[in-house]
Amino acid sequence: MPYGTVNADVIQTSTAGGILGAGNASIMKNRIINGAMVIDQRNAGASVTPTNGQYVLDRYFASLSQSSKYTVQQNAGSVTPPVGFTKYLGVTSSSAYSVVTGDYFLISQRIEGFNTADLAWGTANAKTVTLSFQVYSSLTGTFGGSLCNNALNRSYPFTYTISSANTWTTVSITIAGDTTGTWETNTSTGIQVNLGLGVGATYSGTAGAWAGSAYFSATGATSVVGTSGATFYITGVQLEVGSSSTGYEYVNYQTSLANCQRYYEVLVYDTNGQAAMSAPFSTVADSRFQWLFKVQKRANPSYSVVSGSWGGNTPSAYFSVSHIQFVTNGTYFFLTGSGGSTAIGASAEL
Amino acid sequence: MYKLYKNTDKTQDVGIIKDNTTFIPFDEANTDYQVYLKWISEGNTPEASE
Repeated sequence: MPYGTVNADVIQTSTAGGILGAGNASIMKNRIINGAMVIDQRNAGASVTPTNGQYVLDRYFASLSQSSKYTVQQNAGSVTPPVGFTKYLGVTSSSAYSVVTGDYFLISQRIEGFNTADLAWGTANAKTVTLSFQVYSSLTGTFGGSLCNNALNRSYPFTYTISSANTWTTVSITIAGDTTGTWETNTSTGIQVNLGLGVGATYSGTAGAWAGSAYFSATGATSVVGTSGATFYITGVQLEVGSSSTGYEYVNYQTSLANCQRYYEVLVYDTNGQAAMSAPFSTVADSRFQWLFKVQKRANPSYSVVSGSWGGNTPSAYFSVSHIQFVTNGTYFFLTGSGGSTAIGASAEL
Repeated sequence: MYKLYKNTDKTQDVGIIKDNTTFIPFDEANTDYQVYLKWISEGNTPEASE
């Protein structure tokens, strides 16, 4: 017996005010990956002073115009996360830096176009979205951020308020979809979500309106890097279809890890201390090792030895979205490292 | 900063090494390669492969 089609952006429960989900119910409701900040493949909870463009917790990168103004660490400061979460992304200001006109200090996530294509941004059918997260800061006031397109020629600055210092605060910002501009719908960046930590006038715009400029935050927003030791912690980041925020879409750990591994994957050492070794391990005409990825990559990835170094010889690398093949001609190769801890990382980040 | 590297037969360049640590494929969707292309467009030249 046919039941027809239901087109619903919000599904209500029988309890007044209860909302099951937005967009396609709870299937890919949250376009943010690692919104609960549980995955930290690169740093495993260690603090980093990021360089411009450096990834910190998985899928989040630091964007900055001056070096060494803040550190980033999973669960920095060891405060109690908000109810329902065990991890957060923690930013700590390293100095009292006064931002100048061209400065920007951000934590951002680029969402792949395949995961935002249904929003139909850049068309008359652009869908409204709501960005929500939990934030905790030693500072109070009006803070800012923005959404941008891949070309950084469309942006929507927004503000939110933190009224109580050192208290987890729920933030929800609803944004009408952009009906103009070019919004990628493939393996490029669909939407870039920015949270400002201090942004100068060049990259700050009027909150609550689309602009044909690269604005990373809103005019007048609080500068986190302006206060030495200031803290700014976030978790439960969610970007969903609809004009109201709904409950955070929890994702089991292995799914969250796999979602992150489309963009970055690390091959870690075994109980023999080896992450990679040619076969056969001898001087032969052609020694090979094939690293088959657990998750197909967004693009052919770059690779780096993140722990240890190549011994024997440094192999040539042949790339694909499914694997990297390491090859030497006439000798063997292996990864060697202090204490037998060796690892290789493959990055196909946006 | 950037150095080209060849395949095992030494017949053609198959990638780029950045800072002697990161191996980058010739793939225009790879953001490291995009940064490399921008660097080239600014008039820079990579070190030749061996």
